[in-house]
Amino acid sequence: MTNSAGSPKDITRRQMLRRIGLTALVAGPAGSMLSACATGGGGSDATPTAASSAAATSAANPFGVKADAALEVVIFKGGLGDSYATDVHEPLYKKEFPGATVKHVATQQIAQTLQPRFASGDVPDFIANSGSDLMDNGALQTEGQLLDLTALFEAPSIDDPSKKIKDTLIPGTVESGLIAGKPYILNYVSSGYGLWYNAKLFQEKGWAAPKTFDEFKTLCETIKKAGLTPYAYAGKNASYYQYWMILITAAKVEGNQVLLDIDNLADGAWTKDSVKQSAAAWAEIGKFMDKSYEGLIHTEVQTRQNQDKIAFYPSGSWLENEQKSNTPATFEYAVTPTPSLTSADKMPFEAIRSAAGEPYIIPAKAKNTAGALEYARIMLSKEGAKGFTEKSGSLTVVSGAAEGLSLSPGLKSVNDALTAAGANIVTYSSFENWYKELETELRKQTNSLMFGRISADEFCANMQKKADSVKADSSITKQNRTV
Amino acid sequence: MRHGDVGGAGRLASNKMRKYGFIFSFLVIPVVLYAIFVISPYAQAFYISLTNWRGISANPQFVGLENFTRLLSDDVFWAAVRHHALLLIAMPLITIAIALFFSFLLNLGGGSKGGRMSGVAGSKFYRVVYFFPQVLAVAVVGVLFQAIYRPDATGVLNGLLGIFHIGEVGWLINTNLALWSIMGVVIWQSVGFYVVLFSAGMSAIPSDVFEAAALDGAGRFRLFFSITLPLIWDTIQVGWVYLGIAAFDCFALVQVLSVDRGGPDNATTVLPLEIWRTAFTFSKFGYASAMGVALFFLTITFAALSLRVTRRERIEL
Amino acid sequence: MVTQTDAYRVAGAPRAAARRRQKKNNIGVFGALSHVALIVWTILVVGPILWTFLASFKTNPEIVGDAPLALPNSFSWASWGRAWEKAHIGRYMLNTVLVVGVSTFFTMLFGSMAAYVLARFRFPGNRLIYYLFVSGLSFPVFLALVPLFFVVRNLGLIDTHTGVILVYIAYSLPFTVFFLTAFFKTLPQSVAEAAMMDGSSHTRTFFQIMVPMARPGLISITIFNILGQWNQYLLPIVLLSGSVEDKWLITQGIANINTNAGYEADWPGLFAALSMAILPMLIVYIVFQRQIQSGLTAGAVK
Repeated sequence: MTNSAGSPKDITRRQMLRRIGLTALVAGPAGSMLSACATGGGGSDATPTAASSAAATSAANPFGVKADAALEVVIFKGGLGDSYATDVHEPLYKKEFPGATVKHVATQQIAQTLQPRFASGDVPDFIANSGSDLMDNGALQTEGQLLDLTALFEAPSIDDPSKKIKDTLIPGTVESGLIAGKPYILNYVSSGYGLWYNAKLFQEKGWAAPKTFDEFKTLCETIKKAGLTPYAYAGKNASYYQYWMILITAAKVEGNQVLLDIDNLADGAWTKDSVKQSAAAWAEIGKFMDKSYEGLIHTEVQTRQNQDKIAFYPSGSWLENEQKSNTPATFEYAVTPTPSLTSADKMPFEAIRSAAGEPYIIPAKAKNTAGALEYARIMLSKEGAKGFTEKSGSLTVVSGAAEGLSLSPGLKSVNDALTAAGANIVTYSSFENWYKELETELRKQTNSLMFGRISADEFCANMQKKADSVKADSSITKQNRTV
Repeated sequence: MRHGDVGGAGRLASNKMRKYGFIFSFLVIPVVLYAIFVISPYAQAFYISLTNWRGISANPQFVGLENFTRLLSDDVFWAAVRHHALLLIAMPLITIAIALFFSFLLNLGGGSKGGRMSGVAGSKFYRVVYFFPQVLAVAVVGVLFQAIYRPDATGVLNGLLGIFHIGEVGWLINTNLALWSIMGVVIWQSVGFYVVLFSAGMSAIPSDVFEAAALDGAGRFRLFFSITLPLIWDTIQVGWVYLGIAAFDCFALVQVLSVDRGGPDNATTVLPLEIWRTAFTFSKFGYASAMGVALFFLTITFAALSLRVTRRERIEL
Repeated sequence: MVTQTDAYRVAGAPRAAARRRQKKNNIGVFGALSHVALIVWTILVVGPILWTFLASFKTNPEIVGDAPLALPNSFSWASWGRAWEKAHIGRYMLNTVLVVGVSTFFTMLFGSMAAYVLARFRFPGNRLIYYLFVSGLSFPVFLALVPLFFVVRNLGLIDTHTGVILVYIAYSLPFTVFFLTAFFKTLPQSVAEAAMMDGSSHTRTFFQIMVPMARPGLISITIFNILGQWNQYLLPIVLLSGSVEDKWLITQGIANINTNAGYEADWPGLFAALSMAILPMLIVYIVFQRQIQSGLTAGAVK
């Protein structure tokens, strides 16, 4: 899809699923893509009617929701399920507006289900725009189909009306949903990224998560002697898990600036020392991988880790939930930040990549936009967020909403790591959404690097070459970010 | 209308009208369907290849031949073209060789019995079984071979090799092997079809031809190379055309089986896959259409060449 | 011809008998070797299919485990239940039979009509239309995909089986017309001419005389079309979107299951679904194998 207005959102679990969808022979994107084009032609018959259903506003009803106005909610029913909506958010909304009917639609094909409706102007009120066939938010925004969520983030929080909602969220949440400078997307799920291992196994063997790459290598030797594969990722469809690690390490060495430069296609961004050093260090770790992992998909590799055949696996917070049915009792997920590379690293070992993801949107032409905003406000309340975490096994962007919950070991580990990291957060990368060609090339080069077919220098040179060619391609709209 | 009622010139005119009316009535539906669903999309695609359309804007910008000049220096495009060349040569050769071998065994391998050439015992069974893969949808085959080719000890093929203490083979991750592995799937699926095709060709050969040759003391090899082969040459050419056209596809299998779709390092990519990716992932519809046009000319060149070779119709109307 | 052969046989009998004896051992070795080759290929063909059936009874660890060739520990139909319930294989199968059945019928009807006219009548534009059809043989479907979507959508046929059927017919025409034109040309002129002399109309001549005469060719091309359309998976994915899941065709279903298995890690379910897609096809094929094999080759070998 076009990147005329990219959405600076992070790679989320949903996007990951989308990629997996692509890897399989499913051709879902065709439908979504084509329908997206269809939207390009039509859908301009109506003007935004945000206030059409408005009732009087009040402190308790900041958006002026009409108490009996129907609300249609479309939820992507994927790995997170949809019970968080049917059992938590929708009942909360009904409690507030007993006279309103809430129509719940669950689907796995968001785009195919909704694109025709966008084209015809008959849109639902609230959408979890996720899954293998999510719609391009940038394209929707360009078409004037998305509601500006500024009012939501400026509204008073349900838990503490003296606070604005934006101040109750993890820093960076609102920014992650900006398109062309305005928040159009509510990224609801908070994910942490790092190296995952079996805490029980490590305890039993007396292994400790490494703090530096030297320790990492030494530990890998030890693990190898114990008969396990020290480190692995799935080359067939998830090499981006690995390039995240390379980018995180580069950011730890140089600071987040390197990620900004890469996103902004700055000259020489890929040939910077930080990237080179990171690539070289990870290539060393690559030598501990079994060659065969290049041909496996992520669930295959993850299942092998559950069988204690693999020690470390790079991934994000969704991993534990994804593997739930395959995780034996002897396996307890824990995460550790990527090791430090040099003693001069800009960021400490504790620094971790954390990002908001899982985009929710409100169509500008929805009949009950006020109700949708209120629904989002309910999601962002502590009660709503807590319920979500309980039902879906994922943390939300609502600060402190998980307090008092008995978290699963993996989630607790992410929570602890985030606490330890404090302000040392490695940010998201936007080029993954903005410049798909660059992203595709990075996957290819990452496999080449990690499975020993090219050197770190070649890796950097190849990536720089591709970045330059994207920059020179006049048909690609260029994006920019400063935070 | 009874044409007998009309006189000389009138009858001629009415015959003519009747003929054209008939021609029109028989052609109109197929031609209209074909024009709407086939010709018009292709015509549009040719136009799109001259634009930089990204799939959203209503009026794409005309860029002339820019997409085509860019193709010339696109490494991935050339890698795909090379793969088609390899597929075009190797896939029909191997498939036809295996199919010929088996159909010879199944039809003539049993030697002459009671004056008739016959196949080896159980040839009917083999012919039925060999056709199995052909009835499986390619989607099914792709998913199935994921498990067969899995690169570690859990793969079916590697499990087999393990029995003979042969180390694991990275069927799809070895850059030199990956394309051949995918070709293997196509061959696996096709052989049965060509066995049936060639068998029919062989059974159409009059048995006295073999009898005569056998009397002259021709061995099996001579029987095969100097009699069977020339006599079913037409059928082999038909097979070659089918397989050649298949060599320009392979999209589904590459997409399902290969590392990173077309990898590792572009080792398995094919044009349909690149077109797909360029259009639907990169949303560069103009450039993708240019690739499509290139693929069109490659295929039509092959088709024209093979039609010339295999032309066997009566041109006279 | 028979007598001639018999004559050969009589004359050559003693010599041939001697030769046969002499070659007997030879044949034994050759026969053994050829049987080995045939059996190996049989295993290659049947093995993967059998393995799929077995895998559907295994558990996840058994499939992902180190013994891919081992038998399942216990035979549980749970995965079949899951696949049936979640994957709707039966529904997709029915849809596919309907779509492929209807579109093959009309492909053959329209294709043979066009081919007959193009093969046997001289009129302005004949060659043009013929080559237009034949050139379609070499069009890569990918090139047309995007515009095709819009064509179908503008006709209001997107997400309908009618749309898929019309597109299938249109895309099967090049192949059908090409081969049937050649076939009709090989049929003798005299019969049709005689019929016309008797006052039969062109249309009646076609349906009552030419079609029966062309039967072997028609059956053969029909089988090709059924196989081709059954296997088609790119077009339905574009033409039947996710919002009409109940209209999906079997290839879409399989693709979807494969995706789901990717993130739910339900491999037994995947293989159960695959088995469900394979079984009916195999059964239909085995029941009709004689007709299919003879039909397949009747037209191709001429």
